[in-house]
Amino acid sequence: MRYFLPLFLVLTLTTVTMAGYRETFEQEFLSKPWAGGPIVEKSACIECHTSHIMKPAFRAIPDEWQGSWHALNDVSCHDCHGGDPKDPSMSMSHVRGFVGKPKYEGVPEYCGKCHIGIVKNYLESGHGKALKATKRGPNCVTCHGSHGIQRATIDIINEQLCTKCHSYERAKVMKQALFLTEKKMGEIEKDLKALKNEGIFIGDDEKTLFSTHAEFRALFHTVDVSMVKDRTDEVTKRLEGIEKNVQRTLTELKVRKNFSAFLTLIFSGLAVAVAMLSATYKE
Amino acid sequence: MGKKIRDWIELRIGLDELVRTQLREYRVPKNINIFYTLGFVAVVAYVIQALTGFFLLLYYIPQSEHAFRSVQDIMTKVPYGWLFRQMHVVGSNLMVIVLILHLLAVFFMGSYKKPRELTWMSGGVMIATVFLFCLSGFLLPWSQLGYWATTIVTSMPAAFPYVGDFVANILRGGDHVSGPTLNRFFALHVALLPPILVAVMGFHLFLIRRIGISSSPFGEAVEEAEPWVGYRHEQYNGQPFYPHFFLKEIFMCMVYLAVMFFFITFMPTFFAPEDANIQADPLRTPAYIRPEWYFLAPYQMLKLIPNKFLGISVQVIFVAVCLLWPFIDSKEKKNILRRPFLLSVILCCLAIWTVLTFWGRY
Repeated sequence: MRYFLPLFLVLTLTTVTMAGYRETFEQEFLSKPWAGGPIVEKSACIECHTSHIMKPAFRAIPDEWQGSWHALNDVSCHDCHGGDPKDPSMSMSHVRGFVGKPKYEGVPEYCGKCHIGIVKNYLESGHGKALKATKRGPNCVTCHGSHGIQRATIDIINEQLCTKCHSYERAKVMKQALFLTEKKMGEIEKDLKALKNEGIFIGDDEKTLFSTHAEFRALFHTVDVSMVKDRTDEVTKRLEGIEKNVQRTLTELKVRKNFSAFLTLIFSGLAVAVAMLSATYKE
Repeated sequence: MGKKIRDWIELRIGLDELVRTQLREYRVPKNINIFYTLGFVAVVAYVIQALTGFFLLLYYIPQSEHAFRSVQDIMTKVPYGWLFRQMHVVGSNLMVIVLILHLLAVFFMGSYKKPRELTWMSGGVMIATVFLFCLSGFLLPWSQLGYWATTIVTSMPAAFPYVGDFVANILRGGDHVSGPTLNRFFALHVALLPPILVAVMGFHLFLIRRIGISSSPFGEAVEEAEPWVGYRHEQYNGQPFYPHFFLKEIFMCMVYLAVMFFFITFMPTFFAPEDANIQADPLRTPAYIRPEWYFLAPYQMLKLIPNKFLGISVQVIFVAVCLLWPFIDSKEKKNILRRPFLLSVILCCLAIWTVLTFWGRY
């Protein structure tokens, strides 16, 4: 004990003396995610849009985007609007591809840069034709929103939204046509996630489900109920293929569980047996 | 035939005499308790890790492009690959628990005191080696969890002046955690650490047999009656090691295995959260990253102490104090219940460690 206090004091004093040595490290360390708190995207767009020089409506955009499906998938401001987020002086330069806010009728092509299959079907649909003819029909943003966009679900088709432009009857039929397939896709996705969480390789089925889901969603944008019904059989077949694989793997997991449960019992039994045997050896 | 083989061996190594002197006539103190079996359980746990690790090694590919997929293939396609992987993952965590319990038991029994300072220090080195095993093994599946936890840990040496960046670069094989880091950690995990651990374990066991097992300070204090003034091998007039104490050790091993398979059966993802099953992506930082549960307390301490160099230095000092504890606490009295100050300090430390561990999760 007599060495402890001097040793502790010497080491602590040395530490405190040298503590300010690495300010650069400090700054770097504290800005990293392990310092705690959520990660905030740093870009010229966000820095400017969160500053007080911006109109209040524009200031809300970064927050909306932070909670969006796009943010979750690393789709940032410049992916849609162009420009250079790393250079404030060039962030809105047309030379760096800045396009800013598109015109109302230009929104489908704007989103369609990434959502290629969907824009094609949309433009051929009643919605797309109405937009082209009147420049007032519904575009992507009408149903999906813009900066705060969330993962699309079948719930987007709802009376409140659809009746802004027309009656809900046709939309309701479309929702019914989609319902079972969407439900099945949701269930398979949940099962695949559960398998993935157990460390199982589901890459092939995940890819098939993703492409089937994307195709099916793209098909919906035709707003053609009979076409959706015709193609549903084909989609269902593909889903059944995935479901079969999932069920096979789930059965395999049950077998594994039973096997390890059996081993648990065996070793518990052996523990009891050894304890009983041990009790017989008294001096 | 069996007898012939037995006689053949007997003639050459004197097996009967070995069993008689080393097992049947080797006696341990009467007041020895179940906590004394934890060292043996730790050895068995390590053997299980080595065996399951060997089977994983047959299919694991230590390259950043293939590592994650190879682990998924072990879990999906390789016959019983899931069992070996789960045993390895769950076993690594249980082994740490067993070692912490062993350390606490040794501490509370005062078994680190003269003449067992070297036994304590070699045990400390072993625990540090096991933590290095855990740290290096955590990166090998090349998952988001392991990748970002390794990013944190390999950043820590950079807090030290002059040599910090150099050490961090040596660990990572570059500025960031990448393919070379995986290769280094793999080499460390399978080639460098096992012989080190086996060597230190051998030394630790040698000391235990050479000095004699430490007696419990609770009840009849056998050792304190006769102070250590020169070397002697502690002889007890207690119970025979075999079968009395040996059966207790086997019992604890069975309990260890039962607990391990309980986790594998009913809580297979307990030690492998969601991020452990997502491939490492250096371009996508998870919203919250944290190391394994046994590093949560130091991790939380780092977050709380505003100066990182100070935070890391305090931890290094803490480890040094722990390792040198037998020299710091040189009183011969073993029973900690008769030392209320030390007991309260230790209980406070344990409480702080527990609070920091839970706090570190959030």
